[in-house]
Amino acid sequence: MDPTSVYLSSEMPDRADHLWRYTSWKKTHPTGDVREIPDDISSPKVVLRTIDGSPIPEGITLLHQKTDSEGLPDEETITKSFLEAVTKNSKFTLSVSPRFRSSIPIIVDIQAEGDYCAAHLCLEVGKLSEFEMVTLIRGDCDWFGLMRTGSTGEGSICNDVLVNKMTGGSLLRVESVSIPRNSQFKSGTVSSGSKLTKADLRYRMFGPGGSLNVLGSILSAGKMSLDHHIEIYHDSPETFSRLDWNSACGGSSKTVGTGMLRVSRGSNGADAAQLFSNLLLSGEAQADSIPELEVSEHDVVGCGHGTASGPVDENQMFYLESRGMSPRESRSTLIAAFLNSTLSEMGGDLMHGWLVSELDDDLNELWD
Amino acid sequence: MSKDEEAILEVKGLKVGIESTSILKGIDLRIPQGEIHAIMGRNGSGKTTTANVIMGHPAYEIEEGEILLNGESLLEMEPWERSRAGVFLSFQYPQSIPGLQVGNFLRKSVSSVRGEDAARGSGFRESLSEAMEELDIPKSFLSRYVNDGFSGGEKKRFEILQLMLLQPKLAVLDETDSGLDIDGIRTVAKGINSVVRGTENGALIITHYSRILEHVNPDRVHIMIGGKIVASGGPSLANLLEDNGYDWLEDQIAEGVVFE
Repeated sequence: MDPTSVYLSSEMPDRADHLWRYTSWKKTHPTGDVREIPDDISSPKVVLRTIDGSPIPEGITLLHQKTDSEGLPDEETITKSFLEAVTKNSKFTLSVSPRFRSSIPIIVDIQAEGDYCAAHLCLEVGKLSEFEMVTLIRGDCDWFGLMRTGSTGEGSICNDVLVNKMTGGSLLRVESVSIPRNSQFKSGTVSSGSKLTKADLRYRMFGPGGSLNVLGSILSAGKMSLDHHIEIYHDSPETFSRLDWNSACGGSSKTVGTGMLRVSRGSNGADAAQLFSNLLLSGEAQADSIPELEVSEHDVVGCGHGTASGPVDENQMFYLESRGMSPRESRSTLIAAFLNSTLSEMGGDLMHGWLVSELDDDLNELWD
Repeated sequence: MSKDEEAILEVKGLKVGIESTSILKGIDLRIPQGEIHAIMGRNGSGKTTTANVIMGHPAYEIEEGEILLNGESLLEMEPWERSRAGVFLSFQYPQSIPGLQVGNFLRKSVSSVRGEDAARGSGFRESLSEAMEELDIPKSFLSRYVNDGFSGGEKKRFEILQLMLLQPKLAVLDETDSGLDIDGIRTVAKGINSVVRGTENGALIITHYSRILEHVNPDRVHIMIGGKIVASGGPSLANLLEDNGYDWLEDQIAEGVVFE
């Protein structure tokens, strides 16, 4: 069945579902009329470049076409079929050759303009490759839908960061990535754009020795509402995952982080942990974090989850003020440090420096 | 030159409380320029409160009294303004700040206290490099997060590194010697002496033990009990106290002995 038919024949999601508890599909849908698939959804401008402006190295290409990729178990039908339907003519494939190596991070630069815009980016990563990439989304589109699907290569090492720099509007982001044997995958999210974000990020380790770090540095202000749902599947022995999600929430904004960690039977030696940390910058800001576990294998190294929320620490403020920093500088420094503790884990020095400069701009703008 | 202008720090009749509990019950203290003074006392005697109040910790309520830096009142200043005016506090328990790199923090601090030019270029790098070498701190320290995962000794050396870079007029060192081995104490004492001796600056060292004082050789030692300075004297007072204990000192005071 084609995705349009799948979507239209599906039952609309209930708010009792874990995924839809905080931000409903009606609120996420571009028009709010969930029985409609708008036909005026455009394709964004997508450009491949390097972080330092150097030429694109040989072995990495971006094609305006789709590569088939296997989905993940328990994928959410509504958003997937909806995005499949609206990205028929907006599919891109980032292809990375086997044994490709580069120390210069690649940027997939996506410029989304107009009322509604959507894209499907497929990742096709070759064996034993080592690289870093940023998916940068920006523009002033009212509604942007982004689906990213694919698999990392066996034995590959990939640091992949999505940076949301949109100037407003809504973002629907759906991601499913498969991680094979001995592959190390870091998935970072840096978000300070979009008035409303609904993200459904799913990762599956299906080969022994797979390793996954999911990291979030989320900055919300004004009336932003940022809802990230992260599901991690351990579906093979000796797999490792960590989720560290830091959200700094100001104004009357709201951030939501829901995690689902699943360890299937037979995934002995799995080692998994999830931690959501929220820094509340105003009395009206709201942060909800709900990590959940479903562990079906008893022979695991560890499976834990936790959540912590609180305001800026007064003792840390005093320490910085005692070093001559004004209350505003101290507060801004502590917010940046809080976000940097996950940001610095997302990639190497070059990537980190670039991410810090991107976030600094937003910190300065948001708190002015 | 008046008496107030000659003193780097003057504390007059200072009474301080927290949540309606009185802690400091009338402190008088005067540190002339170029001098190092020490305060010794039992746990809970008000030593750390004195240090925090000089720095302007917002949790404390000043009930009475005055604190002057070079004759200028500190009480109306916020902590950051006091820092920029020349006050430095080496914390007993320095705060860890995950995510904030030491190098970045030092640059921001120096820029805030001494101006942007002092935190730029080769001049800053050279003074940082020299201070780190003097304190036996490796270069890799700069990329670590502030006090995050530091040992007790590393935290104290880092406080002294900040002291050397910020070049304050008044350094208040709250139990900087605790957690340090004898080599660490020697190194830290060297740092304190280099900032104060032969300058118009001053320092107030708060400590439980006399061993750091052997290396710093303070000009005056003050003993604090129950929120008051009950005895003051030369460096030998610290040894006398360490040999005989606080109970002995209290008995002596009760018998009318004056330590001055």
